[in-house]
Amino acid sequence: MTQLFMLDVPENTPIVAVADQDPHVSVDKVGPYFRIAADAPIVINRRATGCRHAVWYSSVAGLLRSRITQWDKDAMRIEPT
Amino acid sequence: MSQLPHTVRGVDHVAFPTFDPAGTVAFYRDVLGFPVVHSICAAGWGPEKHPDFIHFFFDIGNNDRLAFFYYFGYEPPQRGIKGDVYARFEDDIPDFLVKSRHLAIHVDSETDLMEYRRRLDNSQWPVELQVQHETIESIYTHDPNGYFVEITRALRPVTPQEDLDANLTVDALVDVAKGPDVSMAALLTRKAELIVERAADWEPAQR
Repeated sequence: MTQLFMLDVPENTPIVAVADQDPHVSVDKVGPYFRIAADAPIVINRRATGCRHAVWYSSVAGLLRSRITQWDKDAMRIEPT
Repeated sequence: MSQLPHTVRGVDHVAFPTFDPAGTVAFYRDVLGFPVVHSICAAGWGPEKHPDFIHFFFDIGNNDRLAFFYYFGYEPPQRGIKGDVYARFEDDIPDFLVKSRHLAIHVDSETDLMEYRRRLDNSQWPVELQVQHETIESIYTHDPNGYFVEITRALRPVTPQEDLDANLTVDALVDVAKGPDVSMAALLTRKAELIVERAADWEPAQR
């Protein structure tokens, strides 16, 4: 399972909302962190989030049994290891 | 997490050498408006061939001070093609490293930030860059000594969960830095373990 953590701060909530639009993705909370999970890779379109680059490139707090295979101006792709 | 009493009170002073005292006073006192608050005129003494020097201080707010040393008759070491008067580097050293050491001075509002931008832009040291980072907005220039100076404001208050996150990041970094795989991937994996261990039961401290 792909699992990605993001801290619950105002800058990150649009990213979590975009990730949550994928029906295969589930989002819950672990303390003040969002846990974004899926059985498949998680792909988040940066432009859909409206995030500026500084926010985008510092938004990932943790990865459980997962790895980042794309993290650029277009998208973030997280896959299970 | 450290439980030691935390009784320090900010920066008393941070000190840099200058070989351009006139430019330094023009930049900090006359352009930025930082008052001169202290100085020492000292004859060289001691076992080393220490030059006579002036140590002078600018108030940078909050009772914190920025200080300079000017050494009479001492020429700056001439080496390297980039960097500042204290630290020079050859062209093979990347700019991200050269620019990593900098002084950031805090302002409370966008109005204040724009006022310092106006002062700099009307001088011979105009703002080189204005940028919104994650949660701060900053302007940057180089002072007459080549020191990289930032003036910054918070875009919003720091939240309690960001203090937790910072502590988990640093604990993960220390763990990863001691291990065989010192990488961002290893850090994010270790930090996820710490989030699972410590974040679920976290309660924001009463401030």
